[in-house]
Amino acid sequence: MLKKSWINLLLIFLPLIAGVVELILINTFAQALPPFMVTADFGVFAFVFGMTIRNLGIVAFMMGLFITGLLLIFYNRALRRQAETQTLIEAANLEAEQGRRRFLRRLDHEIKNPLTGLRAALVNMQEVQTGADRQRAVDNANHAVERLTRLLTDLRKLSDLGERPIELWQVDVPDLLQDVVDAAHVLPAYKGREVNLLIPKVPSPFPMITGDRDLLVLAVYNLVENALKFTCETDSVEIRVNEDGRAILIEVADSGVGIPPEDVSKIFEELYRGSNARSTEGSGLGLALVYRIIALHDGQITVRSSQEEPRGTVFTIRLPVNKKKITLRPSS
Amino acid sequence: MSPDRSTLLLADDDPTIADSLAPFLERAGFHVLVVSDGVNALEKAQSHHPELIILDVLMPRMDGRETLRRLRKAKIWTPTILLTQVGEASERALALEEGADDYLNKPFDPHELLARIRAVLRRVRPGERSLSAAWLLTAHDLSLDRRARRATLGGETVELTPKALAVLEYLMTHPDEAVTRERLLEAVWGWEYPAGTRTVDTRMAELRRALDDDPADPRFIETIPGEGYRFIASVHGEG
Repeated sequence: MLKKSWINLLLIFLPLIAGVVELILINTFAQALPPFMVTADFGVFAFVFGMTIRNLGIVAFMMGLFITGLLLIFYNRALRRQAETQTLIEAANLEAEQGRRRFLRRLDHEIKNPLTGLRAALVNMQEVQTGADRQRAVDNANHAVERLTRLLTDLRKLSDLGERPIELWQVDVPDLLQDVVDAAHVLPAYKGREVNLLIPKVPSPFPMITGDRDLLVLAVYNLVENALKFTCETDSVEIRVNEDGRAILIEVADSGVGIPPEDVSKIFEELYRGSNARSTEGSGLGLALVYRIIALHDGQITVRSSQEEPRGTVFTIRLPVNKKKITLRPSS
Repeated sequence: MSPDRSTLLLADDDPTIADSLAPFLERAGFHVLVVSDGVNALEKAQSHHPELIILDVLMPRMDGRETLRRLRKAKIWTPTILLTQVGEASERALALEEGADDYLNKPFDPHELLARIRAVLRRVRPGERSLSAAWLLTAHDLSLDRRARRATLGGETVELTPKALAVLEYLMTHPDEAVTRERLLEAVWGWEYPAGTRTVDTRMAELRRALDDDPADPRFIETIPGEGYRFIASVHGEG
């Protein structure tokens, strides 16, 4: 818009130039003309004043000067605003570029490890003599392949989430949470553990939300899986649900060692691994997926964590109650 | 493994995949023809009359989908399994729309491909047009218009979520086949879900409610304990 600045400047100075030209013309040709009267009658009151043609030239000049001054102020402001927007865009681009590089660096790291394991396992498979050693090499190769497959699957989920529309359906949250707890039973980390599910009895029935049930199960499940993974047998894991009339709040809490403060702001980033998560298996995309799913539901997710007593981590999901239009009714 | 000497045509442009899959399938008792692009696949399908075709989606010269479209246009109903590269929902829907008998998301376990091949060969009668290529499927008073994405029961529209409809579509195109929950998840959802089996069961309950199908005495969908589901009504395809 502001690119052709010489045209803009010409337009801005046009009123002033017109005023000057008029002043010169009047001073040159119309000096001898007699004064005239200007009257304006508004019924109740009226103006009467007299002026010479020469005065008229000065008025035109002053008007031109005034309009050009105003235009200059606006133009200056627009230029400044444009510069600010440009800076913001550049900063966002830089941030996106840095994010992309960070992602690639992390991806490189996530692929490098299982691939190294796989290469070593293949060499072992060729070189070892005994059946037991060979079996170990095969197991290691399979394990590395599983890790790569999990990473790829989670990457695909993330990219899928950005592309396909989510299903909008009435979702019974307590029922959904029960499914999550039941599903978590198969996790190795669940062995000898208990996940407490706390559902209020009032109001009854619990308010519904609108969303994609499968995706929401995935989101809460990922949080529960994390809670079980990063805590030990003596710690507790709890899922709580509540509502405040406008939103439903789902909390996944644990009494584990907590997240270091420097990691808290970054844990939802793709492939980010906190300092106490480096040795734990996972694709590094679980929380990024949760974040994306909740955002798709117009919800928010926050985390608070403490490494000092009372220690533990609480993830809070806030989902609006039936905010979106329902496209289909469940059949009954 | 049974020595069924069926001929398979495997079309994949990635030599690492073709070179590893072909011997695996040979060991399983099949005779395998390997090609690396769609044009060759089309020629071999017409000249060698394989019992089944395995087509990769992304291939040079002609992609898997186009190859399949041309095969069906030429009235060649050889059962086909599509190997999809990306797990997009649209691609899965397309695989069904274009008359693929089944499809697998890469990366897959070769044993899963073998299971799919055997299931498809069991289901499809040679030379006959398969249900996967039909636009309108009917069973008793239930009919499914795959193009309009609409199911009717006794002439009345059945209201279903898109996923439940896709489940019904998969079951109706694979009648009399024990379909595991994992298979349904992969085919309809495209991802493995943590609460996978329950996810499927929830949709199945919705589907049964909508179809007024009693699980204890089913007309359409039977539960196979510990395995999955089976569409028991006989399905007729048109169009």
